[in-house]
Amino acid sequence: MGDPLYAGGIGLTVVLVTLLKVLVTFVLLLVATMFMVWFERKIVADMQHRIGPNRAGPWGLLQTLADGTKLFFKEDLLPDRADRIVFRLAPVLAVVPAFLAFAIVPIGGNFAEGGTVSMFGRETFLQLADPPVGVLFFLAMSGIGVYGVMLAGWSSGSKYPLLGGVRATAQIVSYEAALGLSLASVILVNGTLSTHQIVAEQAGAGFGGIIPNWNLVVTGVVPAIIFLIAGTAELNRPPFDLVEAEQELVGGFNTEYSSIRFALFFLAEFMNTVTMSALVVTLFLGGPSGPVWGPEPVRTWFFPIFWFLLKLVVFLFVFVWFRGTLPRLRYDQLMDLGWKALIPLALGWFLLLGAVRVARNEGWNLVVTFGAITVVVVVAVTLLNLSLRAAQRQRLADAEVNA
Amino acid sequence: MGHYLPIVALAVLAVLFAGLSFLASRLLAPRRPTPQKSAPYESGIIPGKEPPRRFPVRFSLVAMIFIVFDIEVVFLYPWAMVHAELGLFGIVAIAIFSASVFESFLYLLSKGVLEWGPIQRVQRPHLVGAHRTAESTIRRVGLEGRDRPAEQRILVESGIASHAVEPAASAAGGH
Repeated sequence: MGDPLYAGGIGLTVVLVTLLKVLVTFVLLLVATMFMVWFERKIVADMQHRIGPNRAGPWGLLQTLADGTKLFFKEDLLPDRADRIVFRLAPVLAVVPAFLAFAIVPIGGNFAEGGTVSMFGRETFLQLADPPVGVLFFLAMSGIGVYGVMLAGWSSGSKYPLLGGVRATAQIVSYEAALGLSLASVILVNGTLSTHQIVAEQAGAGFGGIIPNWNLVVTGVVPAIIFLIAGTAELNRPPFDLVEAEQELVGGFNTEYSSIRFALFFLAEFMNTVTMSALVVTLFLGGPSGPVWGPEPVRTWFFPIFWFLLKLVVFLFVFVWFRGTLPRLRYDQLMDLGWKALIPLALGWFLLLGAVRVARNEGWNLVVTFGAITVVVVVAVTLLNLSLRAAQRQRLADAEVNA
Repeated sequence: MGHYLPIVALAVLAVLFAGLSFLASRLLAPRRPTPQKSAPYESGIIPGKEPPRRFPVRFSLVAMIFIVFDIEVVFLYPWAMVHAELGLFGIVAIAIFSASVFESFLYLLSKGVLEWGPIQRVQRPHLVGAHRTAESTIRRVGLEGRDRPAEQRILVESGIASHAVEPAASAAGGH
């Protein structure tokens, strides 16, 4: 279990291989973020019949670099009313977890043969770290990311950032519950919290030998969709970008930020988008696993990385597609979707999946099991509807008393 | 703990990256603050009111419900890991636990804790009724948006006064 690199104690080679992996991950993340910004601007431009960035570098590829460099030369404003220490600390709190969250994503390795690659004569996973609680580590990092947003809004000493920050906190916190519950289904099916193990579980041939053994299929599609929606909301990306609803909040939590501090928020946001896409791929679409051919280096290096990047780009496109197509939700619609639809659905689906698996293990009568499940589902949905109606009635009564 | 070594290294690198960015910005960027620039930004409007100190209590309620659900998730993960070994006992225990959380969630919902939007009232369609004939409709459309005293409009629409006595209506509609 765990990365075979650390199995035999920590020597000089191990430290060097680790440092190399850290450096590569770091550079890869920065390049991927740059690419994502360019990709998003190009695709959205296409969807709106514009050209998009096309001056800096071939096809405007270096536009992000140019923008980033420009921001270094811009004046760094510190508002009079701001809490000076927290105001400076908030961008760091946003960007460091964004870097760390990616550490648990496996980006390569032939999972039909153990998922390891050989580096300087040492076998290792092609992922920065594989802690036994990888999935929890990701949740923890996305939890810390909230602090960056909230403290930035609070410490600005200005109305609109404060409102944006409070909204963001309530939104992220609401969808974190749905995210965690949809993730529970994956853990239930795979029986592990390590991302490497989760990918390894999905690597084999699935139903009928044609459909891949991905969690998307095994958990029954619903958790994957909930995860994608909740993930979009976690990222504060459209259609859930109420945090920076410019008609209502000027610029959201980062209104008062300029120069490199703003750039760090921007970087964190797009880095989180890349990480979230990578995580959807890892948890539900089998990560780097896929058909591989050819001699040794091609089989273990090229094909897994190729499959991973291909799946990653699909989800990056989906996130941009959301932004290009869907109008922003109202705040009450956002809360209704999160609390009254996604969370009960995710919880219900998890329990359903668990009940079916236990019934299969214990060899219970399938008809009785499904009958019981149907009764429970009907009762739960009825109760949910009744309480929603009770709330409606209560509000109408209150409104009449006040009027 | 070897698994966490690369994470620590990456964290150090990320903090260094942020620190060096701040340093570079300090060296490269101009510093010419003016009172206008360091005032709270409100799209050019000079800030009059203080930022709000009090918030709708709903935000705190959402935070509290989140804690309930987060604790539920904390208990669900271990069961998800070992559900095969626990068998019947596990599923019954988790069902009872989920039912109790769901029940408190229902209580919160029925108390309207998660109702954010404006109240959805069933509007009585006042335009539809027995008093509404083709004639009255045409008159209404013709007069919409005209400047008339409110009492007169009510009289005309309820059929008490004739529209012929009204100067604005006769001028506009040419009755």
